[in-house]
Formats: sequence, C-alpha cells, structure tokens
Amino acid sequence: MGRERERERERVSFFRSLRMAPILQSSQPWVEKYRPKQVKDVAHQDEVVRVLTNTLETANCPHMLFYGPPGTGKTTTALAIAHQLFGPELYKSRVLELNASDDRGINVVRTKIKDFAAVAVGSGQRQGGYPCPPYKIIILDEADSMTEDAQNALRRTMETYSKVTRFFFICNYISRIIEPLASRCAKFRFKPLSEEIMTSRILHICKEEGLNLDAEALSTVSTISQGDLRRAITYLQGAARLFGSSITSKDLISVSGVVIPQEVVGALLAACKSGNFDLANKEVNNVIAEGYPVSQMLSQLFEVVVEADDISDEQKARICKRLGEADKCLVDGADEYLQLLDVASNTMRALCNMPQEFSYET
Amino acid sequence: MSLWNNCLIYGVVSFGFHAFNASPTADDAVSLRRSAIVGPWRFAMGKRDAVVVLSSDDGGDEGEGEGEGALSSSRSRSKPAAKPHLARSEPRRAKKPRVSGSRSRSSSSRQSSIVDEFQFLEEDFNEVFTGAKVTTGFGRSTAKESWVDKYKPCTFEELAVHKKKVEEVKSWFEERLITSKDNLGDHVLVITGPAGVGKSATIYVVASHLGATLCEWNTPTPTVWKEYVHNSNTGQYVSKLDEFEAFVERTRKYGLISQSSAGESKSSAILLIDDLPMTHGNVARRRLQNCLHLLVQSTHIPTAILITDYGRVDSADREARFLEELHLSLESAGARKIAFNPITSNAIKRILSKICRQEKRNVASEQIDLIAKASGGDIRHAITALQFFCLKVDWPSFSSSSPTTVYDLHFGRDETISLFHALGKFLHNKRESVSPSGKDPHPMQEKFMRLPFKMDAPEKVLSQAHGQARPIADFLHENVLDFLDEEAVDDASAVLSYLGDADVLLHSFHGAVARNYEAEGVVQSAAASIAVRGVLFGNSHPLPPRWHSIRKPKLWQSEKFSLHNKDEMLRQRFMVYNGVSSIDTSVIATEYMPACKWLQHRLQAHEVMMLSTEIEDGISLDDREVKTSGDEIEEW
Amino acid sequence: MRNIDIELTTLSSTHHVEMNPSDAGFQDRYVVQEIIKEMAKNRPIDTKGKKRFKVLVLNEVDKLSREAQHSLRRTMEKYSASCRLILCCNSSSKVTEAIRSRCLNIRINAPREDQIVKVLEFIAKKENLQLPAGFAARVAEKSNRSLRRAILSFETCRVQQYPFTINQVISPMDWEEYVSEIVSDIMKEQSPKRLFQVRGKLYELLIKCIPPEILLKRLLHDLLGKLDAELKHEVCHWAAYYEHRMRLGQKAIFHLEAFIAKFMSIYKAFLIATFG
Repeated sequence: MGRERERERERVSFFRSLRMAPILQSSQPWVEKYRPKQVKDVAHQDEVVRVLTNTLETANCPHMLFYGPPGTGKTTTALAIAHQLFGPELYKSRVLELNASDDRGINVVRTKIKDFAAVAVGSGQRQGGYPCPPYKIIILDEADSMTEDAQNALRRTMETYSKVTRFFFICNYISRIIEPLASRCAKFRFKPLSEEIMTSRILHICKEEGLNLDAEALSTVSTISQGDLRRAITYLQGAARLFGSSITSKDLISVSGVVIPQEVVGALLAACKSGNFDLANKEVNNVIAEGYPVSQMLSQLFEVVVEADDISDEQKARICKRLGEADKCLVDGADEYLQLLDVASNTMRALCNMPQEFSYET
Repeated sequence: MSLWNNCLIYGVVSFGFHAFNASPTADDAVSLRRSAIVGPWRFAMGKRDAVVVLSSDDGGDEGEGEGEGALSSSRSRSKPAAKPHLARSEPRRAKKPRVSGSRSRSSSSRQSSIVDEFQFLEEDFNEVFTGAKVTTGFGRSTAKESWVDKYKPCTFEELAVHKKKVEEVKSWFEERLITSKDNLGDHVLVITGPAGVGKSATIYVVASHLGATLCEWNTPTPTVWKEYVHNSNTGQYVSKLDEFEAFVERTRKYGLISQSSAGESKSSAILLIDDLPMTHGNVARRRLQNCLHLLVQSTHIPTAILITDYGRVDSADREARFLEELHLSLESAGARKIAFNPITSNAIKRILSKICRQEKRNVASEQIDLIAKASGGDIRHAITALQFFCLKVDWPSFSSSSPTTVYDLHFGRDETISLFHALGKFLHNKRESVSPSGKDPHPMQEKFMRLPFKMDAPEKVLSQAHGQARPIADFLHENVLDFLDEEAVDDASAVLSYLGDADVLLHSFHGAVARNYEAEGVVQSAAASIAVRGVLFGNSHPLPPRWHSIRKPKLWQSEKFSLHNKDEMLRQRFMVYNGVSSIDTSVIATEYMPACKWLQHRLQAHEVMMLSTEIEDGISLDDREVKTSGDEIEEW
Repeated sequence: MRNIDIELTTLSSTHHVEMNPSDAGFQDRYVVQEIIKEMAKNRPIDTKGKKRFKVLVLNEVDKLSREAQHSLRRTMEKYSASCRLILCCNSSSKVTEAIRSRCLNIRINAPREDQIVKVLEFIAKKENLQLPAGFAARVAEKSNRSLRRAILSFETCRVQQYPFTINQVISPMDWEEYVSEIVSDIMKEQSPKRLFQVRGKLYELLIKCIPPEILLKRLLHDLLGKLDAELKHEVCHWAAYYEHRMRLGQKAIFHLEAFIAKFMSIYKAFLIATFG
C-alpha cells in the first residue's frame, strides 16, 4: 500500500514536470536541460555542422531550411546559431521563434511576421564577443504544418526584407514546403541518429543525473525511440521519475506506452503458424483486451516477419501486402479487431501454404 | 417579353438590375429607411374603389406617391416609356394577383386618380424586380399578360382545388367571421401543400366571397441591394425575420385597426401570411417558431398561414425536420391544419381546356394531357407551360418530331415523377434478347458479359430525371432486392457492394473537397453512375416484367429515429447513472439498456426505470409503419 | 462573427470537469477550444496554494476529429498553467502522435477473467449471495473481459433466478440474441428475399443505437462459431473489408447488408460445393 502511494505521488509530480507549468525549477525537462548550446556540439550531423561553423565565422548566412526526422537536432541547431550570433542580450530583439502551437495562419504571416521582418537593425558591431550581424532571424518551427496560403504569403515577405531578415524553416517533410520557398533556402538534411551516438548521449545524461542503466535498458532506449533523441530523453526522464535511479528495460517500455512486449507479438505469430483459426482469434482478442495499439502491433509484426529466417520470400510478400493494407485501413479509422484478425488470418494462410484465393468467392 | 421575365429568367433580370443600381443615391437610402419602418405591408380593402397602399415591398419603393419627379434613381430610368402609357389609359383588368379586393376595383379604376395609378405602378414595378410574386409585365396588352394571372380563379367554380377542401376552408372562415370572435384561441388556419396547388387562390376566393378585407404579409425576397446597404452601413438593415416578428407583435397588440386607414367594418378582416420568412440556423428557427406560436395563441383575427412543403425527397435533412416541428407546434397551440394535395390531372386538364377555349387556341387534347401530367399537380406551372407551349406553335420543328419525346422534357416540373420512371427503368433492367451481331474486338469474360440495354445510357436517363445521387442510391437500395431473382444471391451481393461504393464516394466530398464545387459535381455524378450501373450490371438475371410498387426508403425514417433515440440517451445519461460518469452512448445502448430491461421490475423505485420505459415507448419502426408511397409504376 | 449553439452535458466538481467532446459531432473543435479556455479563466483560487489547477477529463478522445485533436494540442499547451487534462480513449491508435507525445501514456488492460471472478465473489459476499462453484467463472467467461458487463449480467442472473444453480443460463443482451437470430436466419436460407427480411431486423437494431461496427463484429463472432475452418478466413476477411468501407461511407446499412449478402453468396457456393 505504501509503495502504491509513493508511486501515486511520483506520478503527480511527473505531471507537474511535463513542461507545462514551471512549478518546480528542478523539474526542468531534460530535453531542455541537455540541449546543446553550440553548433559544434550537435550530435552526429557532421556535414551540417561543418558548413554552419563556417557560416558563423563569417557571420553571413542565407535563408535556411532544416529537414529530417524528429529528434535529430534541427531546432537545437537553429537555436544554437541564433544564440551564437547574437548572444543572450540581443537575442530577444533579434530572433522571433514561432512553432506550430502559435497561430500561424495567413493573418499572422501578414502582420506579426511582416512587422518583425520590417524593423531595421543597426549595422554589424560586435558586442560582447558575439558577431551580431546586421539582420534578424525568424525561426519557423514545424513549418510543414503551415497552410499553403500562409507559405505563399511568406514568399513576398522573404524577398522584400531579405536585407534585414533571415528565415530558418524547420520541418519533417520537405515535400510539404512549397517549392518557391524551398528554392530560396539553403537546405540541410538531418540524418536519423545512429545507435552508438544515441547511446553515448544517453550515457552522458545518466552520468549527470546519477542514473543506473544496464546494457539491455540502453539498447531498449535506442530501439523504442527509433533514432529520435528527444523521445529517448523524455522516456528516460519519465522512467527516472517513476522508478527511481535504477532503470530496467521493462520500466522504459512501460513508460513509453508504445512498444508491445515481444512475447505478445511472438504468441500471435505462433498462433498463426499453428494453422488453427480459433487459436489465432483468441490471441487477437487478447491483444485488443490488453489495450495494445494495433498500428504498433502491425509494425512490430512486420519487423519480426521480415527478419525471420524460416519464412520464404513469397510468404513474406503475401503477409506484408496485407499488413500494408491493414495499416491504411486503420488510418481511415477502421476497427482494430477486425483488421488484426484479417491480418492474422492472412498470415496464417501464407505460413501454412493455404491457397491465397478464396474458393467460394464469385 | 414580359412572360420571359416572369417565368424563366426573371431571376437573372432582377439580378442584373441590382447590379446596375449599385451606386445608391440619397433618395434610395431615404426611401429604404422608410420602408423598413413601415414594414412589408400590402393592404387592400374589399369592395372599395381605392386601394390603400401603406407600403409596398422592400427593395425599391422609392417615391411612392410622390410622382415621377421624385424618382431620380436609375430605377426610374429603367422603365421610362411604360409609365405614362399605362397610367393614362388601358383599364388593366385584374392585373394584381395578390388581393381579392383589387379585382373588384377594376371596373372603377378609371376614376381613380393618377396618383393611385402610380402607386399600382410602383407596386407592380417593385414586385417584378423583387420577385415576391410572379406578376405580369406592365399590362400593355392583355395578350402579353401571363395567363396565370389572367385566369386567376374568382369564383368557387373556377378553383381547381378539391371541393371538400374548399368547403372546409370556407366554413372555417364563415364560423370565425360570422359568429362572435370572443371565443379565444382557434383563430388560425394552417394550410400546407406543395407549390401551385391553389392555397393562396383559395383564400382569395373565400375572402372575396365573404366580403372580407384581406391583409397579407408576403415574404419579401432578400435582395442584393439590401445587402449592399447593410454592408456600407448607410441604411438600417432589418432582417426579414425581424420584420416578421415586429409585424406579428403589432398584430397581436393592436389588431389590424391601426393599420387600416379607414375604419372599415373590422369584423370581416382576414389576415393572410403567405409563406414564412426564410430562416437559417437553429436560433432563427426557434425565434420563428416562438413568434408563430404566440400569434396562434393570441390573435383575434382569423388568420391563414400558408406553408409550402418543398420536395420532401430528402426528409432526413434539417429543413424538413424543422417544418415538421413547426407544424406540430402550431397544432399544439390550437391551430387548425388543412393539407392541400396536388391537384389531380383531370382538374388541371379541365382548367387548361377552358383557357384554350377562351384564348381561342387550338391545342390537341394529347398535349393538354401531357402538360397536365408533367406538371405534377402544380396548376400554376401547368398554365405557364400551356402559355409557353402556345408561343411555340409557330416553331417549325413542332409538327415534325414526335411530340411525346420532345415535349415532356420541356414541361416536366416535379422531379419525383420522372425520378420514379427512371428508377423503374433501372430496376426492371430491360435488355435486348440477343447480343448485337458482329464480333467484338475486345471480347470479355463470360461472367462480365451483359446484353445491351433497352433504354438510353443510364447517365442520360439520370440527367432527364434530374436525379441527385444520394436519393437515387437510397431508393435503389430500398427497392432493388424485389427485382432480383430468388436464387441470385450473388447478384444481390454484387449490387449491394456497388451501392456501398457509391456511398463511399458520396461521403468522400464531405471532408476534403467540400469547398470545391466542381470536384463535388464530378463525385456526385460518378457516385450516381456507379449506383445505377452497379444495379444494372449486378442484376445479371433480370426478372420478367411485372407490377411493382416503389417504396420510399425506410432508411430515412430509421435514421431519424435513431438520431432521436440517441439524443434521448445523451440527455438522460447523467441523470440515470447518478452522474457516475459520462459513458459512451454505445455502452449505454449495448449494455445498460438491455440490462435495465431485465432489472426493471426490481428497480421500480429507481430512476433507471424511467430510461428504459421511455426509450421503449420511444420509437420503433413497427409503431409508425412507413407509408408506402402510392407511386405504383407500371411496366412500359 | 458566427454564433454556434452546442449542447453538451458535463459533469463537474470544484476541482474537475468531465465531458465527452465527441458528442458535439463535427463541431467538437469548438468545444475543445472554448471549454478549456473557459476553465482557464475560472481558475480556482486557493489560499493555501494547493490546487492551483483544475482537472479536465475528456472521454472518447479517439472519436475526436483530426482538427479537434490538433487544436487540443495547442490549447493544452496554452492553458497548461491552469488546467490539466486526463484523456481517456479505447485505443491510442486513433489519437495523434502529437497529443500522445505530450501526455504520459498509461495503458490500462482489460481485467483478466480471474480478476473478474474475484470482484464477483466480493460482490456476492457483500450482498450475501450463495455462489455455486464455477458460476462466477462462467459469468466472467461470458463477459468478454469487461468488468461492467460481468457485473451487469451477474445482477441480471440474480434477478432472474436465485438461488443460483450451477448450470443456470446466463442470458446474453437482448440485441445479441437478436443478432444470433439474424445469423441463424441467414444460414438457413440465402436469397434476396431473406436478405430483405434481415434488413428490417438490422434497422431495428440501428434504431436502438447499437453502433454498426459492434453489430458487425457480433455478427462475425456468431458466424465464426458456426462455420467450418476454411470458411472462417474468407468471412473474416470480408468483415474487415466491409467494416472499413462502412467507416469511409455514411450509411452503415449499405455496408452491413453488403457483408451479409457476401456471406450468403459464399455460404451458398460452399453448400453447393459440399453437398451438391
């Protein structure tokens, strides 16, 4: 009972720590706490760092577009550049940061952004050891969620005020940025982080925070976060809050709430191999009752099937085809149970070499 | 020319007119304000020479009674020649469709002053452009007058409405007017029915028969002009609903005395509310409903409210539900309701032949027959069609082509009639008995082969029927199973799958493409095509022809009921479950409700009881059996 | 400026508000924005400085439209100082990544059957009921791992017959019985006429607000219990297929019926192939 209460308290304090209200200063999100302050510290993005360091030295920079999967350091880099150019004093007056949680409809582009962009700034005088070039920076985070209209409106603003303003666009999918904008920018692609980089970063944080992670937990962190360092750190912090300083791989999985234990996936696949429909149906029911998200189930099933040695290529192809279809159906809002059951049935037919075509369909 | 204005393109004309008038003069603004104050009143006394016009319609009543000099706006310029011409000469007989009293005026109109004439002129003028009523042009010659107005019924014999209904209306008014009016309540008569079945005409005739003054509130049409004023803040904009409310308020408080300038015998006044103001959204509707409710409860003047039922095809939509609610609310307030049916084609034929005789036109009886049938019980439409048809007589193509195929397209009014024909064609799926000779260069598999149609391409039939995709799919779904072979369950499966495809397509434009009308149009017609062709293709063993009735989709009823039940559940959710939690309705429906039923007798003291009984008493399909529509279609 | 009227029932105390924003249908977006804003304004003042925020419980978050979820994400950040959210949903698949990543995800699995049995035994003890051996287990088994369902049917059994007997019938919900009836109907005869009769029954179920996907699942469940193994694959495939179409479409009846017609067609072919 006492343990239960303690957990409850932990949970409450976790809620508080969720970047919402600064109730406790010490509960600053680690993502912020360990954000690299210098461009050269940004992990793994060597080419980007090389080019940008050069930019910093000459204090001359074009409009920039950073793209790549989440948690690879795009925002970090942009902020670091801004800080290194202007220093803490000028930063507020020279940098405008807008992300998706701000309203960025066409009206904001027309008013707020334009007003900020139109302000002239003094010529480049070095202040306090910072280059302080004669322009301002507007950072548009998650730019791919801006409407096309808003992006079009930006076009003119960019051109008109290019003397005194630089734009940094940050997005996950470059295809969602309209071509005229993209062509005005220097593009930088951010690669997903490799496992070693991730591990070294996590270890660094663990050392700083006095955490104890075994090897298994370390590898779990990097697999469940799928190359997204921010997510990895968030999980780590969550686990530390809930379970104290020594964290196991199981703790991490339960915090992430995403990954389905391998046994469950294995059980479903085994049921499919057995060729017994009712058994498979029971497993599917179990997955649903346990509350595992089926979309996640599909992607884990996919991984297991693709890597399996005892399944022929043709069987894999047959299974994966249906997996893809089911995933699309789920996105459309189809029922999870029915889709998973169909996937299981199809997998079973593939694995047991039953005919793929239905015999009674007219 | 005037006819064209009225029946075909008057919308366009009036629009052009307003565009033309886009720069307002000071006079416009002034007069507009005045009209807003007076309200959309048109007033006429029975059995009197002069007609007093308090105000005419909104939109363009500048300079009424002020003579020509005051008319400085472009509006006056638009009709310079007709005015003096008309004002001086030509006793126009019964040009006014609106008031029975005005008809009796015709004989003495010569004596009325020029100012009076101007007033009529203005009125007419406004009416044409605001489109509140279809009137003729300026009566320059009787030949050019619209027959609809020319042959407006003046006596009971001329009415095409069923005798019983007329008698009902007449006796109702007689009771009200002749007996003392102290017995409160029951002073309102609601007449419902489709357009053009003679609702207003009946009232006019009854009023003139009883010698009663007819006061009319006519729904003014909102105009572009008004919107302009509204936007530029130069005039005071009063919404139609506000005007209506104000009018009802006045009537309730002061009766009609304050309005009628002369102290005519007040006992014989009839108030006519011809169609209700347009309402959009729940708030406006609720206001209208309350307003009418009050009127019904408190008025002392016999009042007739005419409500036009628009096509009830999509009865699941909000508009129809609102109308239904309105009817109920009026009835609950004590109003008497009389429903007019579409006029029978025999009655229409009688009227049409009479007109032909009087106009000395020679029209074949088959043509009259055709027009009468195609009008769908709308006498106004039938007469207009007849007049139009007579215009066309000179056309060279008339005698050459076969009349049935050409003309039914021009005169068809009511969608449902031809919709049923089209549905019949699709459902019966008549095919040639042999496939066309000649080798197909791209032979298909056996199971995809079908014999050629014995009709036009389905899309053509659809466009002739003006079929909307959604009702078409619903009708097909409701009826198609009757037309399948008893053994052919495969066909049923194929057909239903295609209908499902159509449904998916129809739903798709609710989301992303909603604003793109062009895309919507394409999706709509594609969905209709798939539904129809799916039914034709899937039904691979068409049955031999036989009689079948086409049912109205039960789906609509069912949707309405399930919505109703769901609302009920949502409303009672918190109460019934002691506010434990706001549970999903699906859980209530699937678990609590059945369990409550079991537990009912034990929990009688408990509130749960209330829920289960109430919902059980709620609606199920059996209680109100859907009336199968009488549209029997035969095999052609 | 537009005014929109939305009726929504909420359950609230001084510290929390609970509601189902998805009741508002396609206007759920406004509910999410406005209610949270309203709550942020009326922030509870506590002198001791203890509870400085309200708790807002949103049920059925997975049924919210995408737009609503998007604006939820924004509002929950904007007003985080004064209110905290607890979001409940049946499946996290339908909640966007953006919201999930801003919350602590807690998966709550359905109770296992032995856990349900324990609860039932506890209730029996409190209510002074004699439980025959294995009876609670049977109730639990029928409940499909839903505790609410188990307790409801336990109470129903108590009303129907007490003292309990070992092989007492645990009656299914009335609509489930109705579905079973439909299933035996369509297995007996496969014809357009029978299909038409079934349609009437489906309408009745829909009028009672049984959600069509639950209806379809129940149909499948009953069918699977009666079919040969080789047909099961086929039928479950079509169930998944038509349920997906139903979600894309608007009129559930079209797709429910198409599924039944498909089944009839398959089953008829199967019968002909098996018995000639």
